[in-house]
Amino acid sequence: MSKKLFRWSIQILILTGVLFTVSIFSLCIGSSGIPLKKIFSTILEGRGSTEYSIIFDIRLPRIILGFAVGGSLSLAGVILQGLFRNPLVEPYTLGISGGAALGVCLNIVLGIYHTSVLSLPVSGFAGAVLVVLIVYFLTLKKGILKIQGLLLTGVMISFISSSLIMFIMAISKVEDLHGIIFWIMGSLEEPNMLLIKITVLLSVFGLFGAYLFYRDLNAFALGEEDASHLGVDTEKTKKALFILSSLLTGCAVSVAGVIGFVGLVIPHFVRMLIGYDHRILIIASFLTGGAFLIACDTIARTVIAPIELPVGVITGIIGGVMFIYFLNKRK
Amino acid sequence: MKKILILIFGFNFLYGADFPDRIISLGPTLTEQLYLLDAGEKVIGNTIYCKIPEDAKNKEKVGTIIEQDLEKIFILKPDLVIASSMTNPKTIKKLNVLGIKVVQFTYAKNFNEICRQFLELGEIVGKKKEAEKIIEEVRGKVELIKKKTIIRNSAKEGQKVFVQIGAKPLFTTTKDSFINDFIESAGGINIANTKTGLYSREEVVAQNPDVIIITTMGIAGEGEKKIWKKYKTINAVKNNRIYIVDSYKLCSPTPVSFAETLNEIVEILYPKKINE
Repeated sequence: MSKKLFRWSIQILILTGVLFTVSIFSLCIGSSGIPLKKIFSTILEGRGSTEYSIIFDIRLPRIILGFAVGGSLSLAGVILQGLFRNPLVEPYTLGISGGAALGVCLNIVLGIYHTSVLSLPVSGFAGAVLVVLIVYFLTLKKGILKIQGLLLTGVMISFISSSLIMFIMAISKVEDLHGIIFWIMGSLEEPNMLLIKITVLLSVFGLFGAYLFYRDLNAFALGEEDASHLGVDTEKTKKALFILSSLLTGCAVSVAGVIGFVGLVIPHFVRMLIGYDHRILIIASFLTGGAFLIACDTIARTVIAPIELPVGVITGIIGGVMFIYFLNKRK
Repeated sequence: MKKILILIFGFNFLYGADFPDRIISLGPTLTEQLYLLDAGEKVIGNTIYCKIPEDAKNKEKVGTIIEQDLEKIFILKPDLVIASSMTNPKTIKKLNVLGIKVVQFTYAKNFNEICRQFLELGEIVGKKKEAEKIIEEVRGKVELIKKKTIIRNSAKEGQKVFVQIGAKPLFTTTKDSFINDFIESAGGINIANTKTGLYSREEVVAQNPDVIIITTMGIAGEGEKKIWKKYKTINAVKNNRIYIVDSYKLCSPTPVSFAETLNEIVEILYPKKINE
């Protein structure tokens, strides 16, 4: 047992190391071309210089947000995949992201976001929860949540919400249209520090929240019936984890827009590398998700600078290709 | 009297010091207007689509019209960033947080608004007189054209026009757009009555326009022309009056190019007749 613990500690240390390396690397590169040598002297000199501002006011907030959003999305993926023992379940396929997106679009069109920036994550979360409730009650038969129906309903709701978004775009004025398109493309550029802080707080809260359920998630791996035989209150656990993952997704989507693939690919990837035990899987996915999104964002903003690509372009391409490669290698 | 003079000079001096010397423009039309105002040398950065005039190509490129590289903008240390209606609102906020002054020009809805924004731009960059002179000249030209076309209009020669600015889905201009202004000032009647710009082909066939104007939209314009030719009942098709106009000219005019494009539209609507 202690051998296992030792191995896990090493793995977490390595992942934390990777996360820090990626963050520092991301902090050091950018289109303004500050040479590496100058970075240390700039940091030591402190506030005041242009370089300092670029590193700490432009690059650092993005890295922090990338960490929180990547962590949140892959955490939501781990929870949902564990809960439903289905490799295709993730915030997107369950329609949670779609719901959040719809909420944010409505917010933009109705002009609510002018009143408070906080209304964006709130409407994202409201959309996510609404979809979760719809999916939940539609698949709830005689008090029991049927997993087979859940995925199909989720996919359908996802389609419905993207159609509704298109509908909103078709009938909205040109000015609002820009707002929606910018938001849909997804970006980790967020001027409001408060929003970044909230996202970070929520993701860390989500990590601890999910960790409380690691036993239940491990039990769920045996199947729902066996889990309840092992003493897990399956319905209560499902509800709690469902809400937790929609909270994580809603917040991530409303701040950073639609960023695909992280929630689906990262948990699988971590399972392949580290194993199926949720005690380690939860933390490892969180760290890997954060590092992955920071890396993707760094590529997105530098690869064809000064043009900045939507980060979803990079996560989709790199995540997808990497995943297919490892899947085939394993066979 | 002396006091007043000093006040005026002092005020001018203070005001003069406020004019920006390092400007970054985030829109091709804005860049073009800055050059028209003779403030081209103050532009230190613009977008990769800023190609008019020739000199604009040599400036530092900070991104596209919708996405810009904040680091690059920041390192150029501008006094002023001029944003367009297409600029990402998050970028503007972030620039403000970084302590960079940003002025955003919204989408101009008609010719008057184009002129007003041009004057405003002139005032901001300290070229008020130049701006006023240009606007006066342009207004004169446009009024002259309008006078001629109003005669046409009253003689019941008003041409029904359909303007296509987007394909798949079919997209036209709304009434509150300067493109509508082009048509009406040229003595045409814009058949489209839509709030969003989305339009159905059926509706166009039913309304039977005399002229169809298509913007180039890259290369899609030619393809669209072929599609329209299938609908033989439309007057514009019968009389072979489908025209392709450069997207940039029609959709992103400066006051000066507005007058030029308006001339072009008049020639399209009333070939040869206008100069009689």
